[in-house]
Amino acid sequence: MDDKKRTENLLKMTMEDLEELERYIEELSSFLPLAVCTINPSGVVLVVNSAFQNLTGYREVEIIGEKVDSLFLNKKDFQNLIESKTLKEKTILTRRMTLSKKEGGKIPVNMAISIRRNKEGNFLGHFIALSDISEFEKLKQGLEEKVKERTKNLEEQTQEITQSRVALMNILEDVEKAKEESEEERDKTLAIFENFPEGLLFLDQKNRISSINPGLRNFFELDPEKVIGEKIAELEKESPLNFLVDILGTTSAGAYKKELELKENLILEISTIPVMRVKGKIGTLVILRNITREKTVERLKTEFVSISAHQLRTPLSAVKWTLKMILDGDLGKISEEQHEFFLKTYKSNERMIRLVNDLLNVTRIEEGRFLYNVKSQNIIKIAQEVINSCSVLAKRKKIALKFQEPKSKIPKVKIDTEKINIVIQNLIDNAIRYTKNNGKINISVKYLKDQKNILVSVKDTGIGIPKNQEKRIFKRFFRGVEAIKMETMGTGLGLFIAKNIVEAHGGKIWFESVENKGTTFYFTIPIASATISK
Amino acid sequence: MKKILIIEDEELLYNLLSKKLITGGYDVSISKDGQKGLDSMKKDIPDLVLLDIIMPNKNGFEVMEEMQKDERLKNIPIIIISNSGQPVEIDKAKNLGAKDWLVKTDFEPLEVIKKVKKQIG
Repeated sequence: MDDKKRTENLLKMTMEDLEELERYIEELSSFLPLAVCTINPSGVVLVVNSAFQNLTGYREVEIIGEKVDSLFLNKKDFQNLIESKTLKEKTILTRRMTLSKKEGGKIPVNMAISIRRNKEGNFLGHFIALSDISEFEKLKQGLEEKVKERTKNLEEQTQEITQSRVALMNILEDVEKAKEESEEERDKTLAIFENFPEGLLFLDQKNRISSINPGLRNFFELDPEKVIGEKIAELEKESPLNFLVDILGTTSAGAYKKELELKENLILEISTIPVMRVKGKIGTLVILRNITREKTVERLKTEFVSISAHQLRTPLSAVKWTLKMILDGDLGKISEEQHEFFLKTYKSNERMIRLVNDLLNVTRIEEGRFLYNVKSQNIIKIAQEVINSCSVLAKRKKIALKFQEPKSKIPKVKIDTEKINIVIQNLIDNAIRYTKNNGKINISVKYLKDQKNILVSVKDTGIGIPKNQEKRIFKRFFRGVEAIKMETMGTGLGLFIAKNIVEAHGGKIWFESVENKGTTFYFTIPIASATISK
Repeated sequence: MKKILIIEDEELLYNLLSKKLITGGYDVSISKDGQKGLDSMKKDIPDLVLLDIIMPNKNGFEVMEEMQKDERLKNIPIIIISNSGQPVEIDKAKNLGAKDWLVKTDFEPLEVIKKVKKQIG
């Protein structure tokens, strides 16, 4: 073969190879989904692939020969990048840029750029690859927004949780405190219950024995286990607590009190008190108080007073009766002089009797505080009885003793009859004593409806009480100067006792007086006496 | 004539009282202590008893209690003449059949007679 043919063949082969290569590059370039372009050192576009055309919207003919930076929004950015040192050092540099499409849209792209050099290392221009990151950025933004929202929500929730936590902590603190306080109270109550010197029993709503305290065991031999939880109604007959059966019917009522004599030297006072809470009755507290000593003292006092009274009064009554019979002539005739002496002795003895009466009253009444036997009574009847008993005395001084009946019906009052008797007696006695002969005494009883009081008044036409003695008149042993002159007999105890009795009933006692004209004593008794003590 | 039995231990008192009663037209017998009084009334039932409380050999309350147990005696009217007079005692006496309670220092013999008259005439 010729050299010429060989060379031609070689050339043909090389041309075919080159064509093959060109075709390959073209195919590759077309296939490449990445937008790629080549630019010369001046930044002019030399080659673009299909992807580049699609992305930018420019056709090959439109873009080749144009400056590449015209594609970008920020031309300066691109320029700086081209000239940057980093680019010269690095192989590939990537940067986010904004591409201006042919039809005007602006899309974010990721630009990769690298320098082209020839075999000798001379600068040939750049390769530029663009990838559309708009979807990516949208996604990114969407995600960012979602994250922001989520973060905001979380923050809000966290704040709520924090607030709830604070509130919860507060509540817990309060609950802790309340628990502590209630435990303290419970402990206190328990301590009181256990240490109460008297007997305590707690019954639940079904009248079962819920708890008993040690104090109760002082009175009864009890096995707590046998007793707690038992219904009262079902207690054994021999059970020492059997007496509770009697109180069963009363637990629904208000407070209840009763005395129970267990043995000769053990007298108990049983009180039952319903225990109420907001929702109603939760049980009954039964208190057993040992009143043996009190009862004994009471009995001894009564006996003492009885014997003292007897001892003091016996000689006095003997003298009284004897002198009276002498004065009445029952023991023989006596001269006028004898009569006068005997009369003086009689009067002196009478004074002694009154003193003893007052002293016994004071001792017994204990200054009027204890009222015995309080019952609903018609006070008019009592007044009339006293007036009747004083009529003889009044007649002797020719004093008119009148009772003014009330106009309308008067309600009954709860009083200690004997004591109120003493009050009226004292007032009328005084009226008679301190009124001269031929005087007048009016007694009246009135019902003061709006004040819910009964008003009793004793009005006399006597010597009156001077203003300066007003305050002391009710004091023990006080007697006015004029009163003493008028009537040497008088103990000074009458008004003191009367005041204490009236006040023990919840009433008031006072007077109005004008010297030498007369005095009116008033006292009130409330219709509903709530302050009466036993 | 109505019969009055005085059961009282004090001589002066029962003397004065009986004198006044006799003047008032009553038949009077006297017993100086509680037991003697009960014995007397069982033998001869009086129309009324004037009874003291504090006495030897059965006091007034004991006398009344025994009278209540005896059919013949339980309805005899009793007036207590005593020198004590506490409400608790008076109540007790009234529950045992006493019609009245007179405190000696507060009543004169004449007034006692009036009370007797009121009870039995």
